[in-house]
Amino acid sequence: MCGIIGYVGREDALPILRDGLSNLEYRGYDSAGIALGGGKLDVYKREGELSALTEILPERSTATTGIGHTRWSTHGEPTDENAHPHTDESGDVAVVHNGIIENYDTLRTELEARGHEFTSDTDTEVVPHLVEEELGPDRDLVDVVSDVSDRLTGNFAFAVVVAGRDGIVATRRGNPLVLGFADHGTFLASDVPAFVEHTRRVSYPQEGDVIHLTEEGATVYADGEVVSRDISEVEWDAEAAEKGGYEHYMHKEIHEQPRALRQAISGRVDEMKGEVDLDLDLPDEYLNSLEEVQFVACGTSYHAGRYAAKLFEEYADVRASAEVASEYEFDGGRDPWRTLVVAVTQSGETADTLSALRRAKRAGARTLAVTNTLGSTVTREVDDTVFIRAGPEIGVAATKTFCSQVATLTLVAVAVGRRRGTISTTEAQTLLSDVRGLPGAVQQVLDREEQVRLAAEEYVDGDAFFFIGRRLGAPVALEGALKLKEISYDHAEGFPAGELKHGPLALVTPETPVLAVLTEGAKATETLNNVKEVESRGAPVLGGASDAVPDAEKFVDEAFVVPALGELEPLVANVYFQLFSYHVANLKGRSIDKPRNLAKSVTVE
Amino acid sequence: MKAVVLAAGKGRRLWPLTENRPKPMIPVANRPILEHVVDALETAGVEEVVLVVGSNRERIQNHFRDGQEWDLDISYVIQTQQLGTGHALLQAESRIGDSFVALNGDRIIDATLIERVWERHRETDDPVLSVTRVEEPSRYGVVELDGETVVDLEEKPLPQLTRSDYINTGVYAFDPDIFAAIRGTENEPGEQALTDTLSQYIEDRRLRAVKYRGMWLDVSEPWDLLEVNDSLIADEAPAGTDPASVDDSAVVAEAAIVGEGVTVHPQAAVLRGVTLGDNVSIGPGVLLENAVILSDVTLKNGAVVTDCIVGANTTIGPNTTVEGGETDVVLDDTVYRDVTFGGMLGDNVDVGANAVVANAVVLSDSTIGDGAVVRDCVIGENVRLGPNATVEGGVTDIVVDGELHEDVRLGGVVGDNGAVGGGVTFSPGTVLGNHAVVESGCRVSGHIEDDAVVRRG
Repeated sequence: MCGIIGYVGREDALPILRDGLSNLEYRGYDSAGIALGGGKLDVYKREGELSALTEILPERSTATTGIGHTRWSTHGEPTDENAHPHTDESGDVAVVHNGIIENYDTLRTELEARGHEFTSDTDTEVVPHLVEEELGPDRDLVDVVSDVSDRLTGNFAFAVVVAGRDGIVATRRGNPLVLGFADHGTFLASDVPAFVEHTRRVSYPQEGDVIHLTEEGATVYADGEVVSRDISEVEWDAEAAEKGGYEHYMHKEIHEQPRALRQAISGRVDEMKGEVDLDLDLPDEYLNSLEEVQFVACGTSYHAGRYAAKLFEEYADVRASAEVASEYEFDGGRDPWRTLVVAVTQSGETADTLSALRRAKRAGARTLAVTNTLGSTVTREVDDTVFIRAGPEIGVAATKTFCSQVATLTLVAVAVGRRRGTISTTEAQTLLSDVRGLPGAVQQVLDREEQVRLAAEEYVDGDAFFFIGRRLGAPVALEGALKLKEISYDHAEGFPAGELKHGPLALVTPETPVLAVLTEGAKATETLNNVKEVESRGAPVLGGASDAVPDAEKFVDEAFVVPALGELEPLVANVYFQLFSYHVANLKGRSIDKPRNLAKSVTVE
Repeated sequence: MKAVVLAAGKGRRLWPLTENRPKPMIPVANRPILEHVVDALETAGVEEVVLVVGSNRERIQNHFRDGQEWDLDISYVIQTQQLGTGHALLQAESRIGDSFVALNGDRIIDATLIERVWERHRETDDPVLSVTRVEEPSRYGVVELDGETVVDLEEKPLPQLTRSDYINTGVYAFDPDIFAAIRGTENEPGEQALTDTLSQYIEDRRLRAVKYRGMWLDVSEPWDLLEVNDSLIADEAPAGTDPASVDDSAVVAEAAIVGEGVTVHPQAAVLRGVTLGDNVSIGPGVLLENAVILSDVTLKNGAVVTDCIVGANTTIGPNTTVEGGETDVVLDDTVYRDVTFGGMLGDNVDVGANAVVANAVVLSDSTIGDGAVVRDCVIGENVRLGPNATVEGGVTDIVVDGELHEDVRLGGVVGDNGAVGGGVTFSPGTVLGNHAVVESGCRVSGHIEDDAVVRRG
């Protein structure tokens, strides 16, 4: 996934594109580039962070049209030559591209046979050459782009500027593209934050659309015909693109969790009646005949799915499991009419998850999406959507979205359980009261950050870190380890606590801190046995402990107090793990918001 | 116009509310004090605001972020150690290149005050402060004037030595040369007060004063919060503060402000002078009057809460009463007589069912058991008060800060981390030290030291 941006308007394009790229950096950042339009194209591109590009950009430019790109490399290493925009030999055609062109190899061979010269190793470079071939004085750029895109296989979104031609032409297939309409011009981008400080009026082109951007707006063509796409207004503010006094977006987002959780809950919970209102369109007969719920997701969202699966089995009394999307197949003799497949994806664009979802749909299963992003691809492909309302998450490592996903999924579990009659009013009230108590409980943990920071200082030099937990604490252990891995680059692994003695215990030494979930919902008493196992090997233990383990300080080296919150205590304990990972990474001087080799929303498979 | 707002202080006198949030973030009419200040700045035409933050700064940063919501450019500088108002202002130096307005983030003022101070500065090129008249000037910084010129500044002078009715409102307009003046000020180590700088400044330069008669609201003590809150609700309550769900049989007064995601259950009555934070749940039959309820609070069925402040994430059990009335309060080594004050519950407090809390302050993270009676007293942090424990009201003589006060209504003090068993009774005036344990059924009196264990004997 890379970030692309384009602008046509009355204002100077250079500062607009530069700022826009800065807001897109979270999508990919091993190289960046800009092409400024007008009479002749000026192309600037550099390997490295955005600041490397900014060094070679001119102070000023009169161009009011341009395209830009930040890159997360898939084909070809990050180098100046491989950075986008790519051009043909004349330099009159410039292209920025997001996605993978699967048949680029064949196309490149054919183009080289016809005399084209290539300067990079990328798949993208075939596009400007193809465009240049098709272009003639009487051919419309829109038709050319349409024809060229027909010759490509794969998933992509790209934008083209041509010297002497008005505006920008873009198209998408499988990769996100959004248009923005400001007073002074028109934008296209991979994601809204690129231009949200200029306008909040957006529209989402559909698959296969070819768009011509001009100063006045955008004309959208589908199959050669002009079509109109709805313009809506996004609610996110540009403030999301600023760190507001925090050193890292991730830290800001960890602290935003109470607020995000209140938004997730607001208007959806009636604690008195034990009811949840999520505006779901799931018929009673369907829910009563439901045999299985499958959560498909990747990474942190997968962990949220595992947490949810346990709650669904317990409270909705239905077989539930979480599957890693890239491994998911719909088989095993399941009845698709009695299987609900839930795609959990923060961005709504994760390619692996979308693929898995499509496999489920082809088999005939009913689908539900739990996502943070309005207008995203997943919302258009499922039968129902529930939004987690966490607000934009810029840090690549997911924090508040995990918390909001689990909270939202808990609400879904209660909703389904009530409809199926598998959860009593009292049980529902308790669970909902716990969900309502999440913002306050998380805030309590955040108010204790100093204790975590000191612990991070003490254990920062661990050889490896192990996270253990049972039941709902198990996905939290996995998630804790993933977070530490992602941002501090330490070796961290999460295990169901009972599994430790079946192998991994061999790795435990006095230099490997162990973080344990010792709360309600996580079989704390049994986990204490595992804590003793590692302590007897000399490993220091940090425990997120609630009243489920009174006097936890007797059993662990560092006790992080988790307020009483029933089945959601493990989720609250996870906030300690987030803070721990953040401070360990910070002490090691890691880049945190932009971990090496990672990007925010993985739109390639 | 640029403004520097000082919001780094700890605000000790408003403990326990200021344990987890800085004073400027305490809500008045359901919006943080600092938000009222920022609004006034925006109305006055300020475009860029530098917030000097320190204690619990995440709360401020989470709320204001980069200022987009207020059409302002907000940036932050951090005062890592609280070394006085002058030192705080100095932190903003790198962000200031020209004349600017400086003010405190914990006093609510009108936009006109900012405008007038700025205008006078532009007209004369001299630094300007503003003064207002109050009844008890000796509580603040008293300013002596000769016409428009400031001739003397004194912080909290003795009442009998106070020579003027005017006090410093804490709103200034300066040139960047103020920073050098702050640095050059002779002062006591560890305390660099802005007023010290100004006292030295006026020795050879002119400092002008603008007289102001408009709104100037300071929340110094917790009961001020109730008063100020009440007076501002009337200005604030617009339509559009409809709670997320209010049962048809519940009553919500017009003179009440309700946050987002609030639920009001059947037969509940939210009367005048009440502000409810976000995600608050008002149970069936609850009665609320003249109360500030912070976010995430749960009031269970039949609870009665009047004349008090309830901290964030606190739970008040079924049929519990948190009563109002007049009382004497001992806070921060001072005795305040006859204050209208029901009580104050800190953050994360859990009050059980059928309890009575009257004129008491319960600090954060404490638990009050079912049926407990807590009157005229202070319960520390993280205290476990067992079921049916009684801290009786009554009148007693106490010594506070070395001074004897007679006939003070004081039930007692339970120190931090105390564990008090069920059915324990405290005689009036009992002080239980920190980390003490009292076994069930004991009757306690007098002063008990820290870490003591009290058994039935």
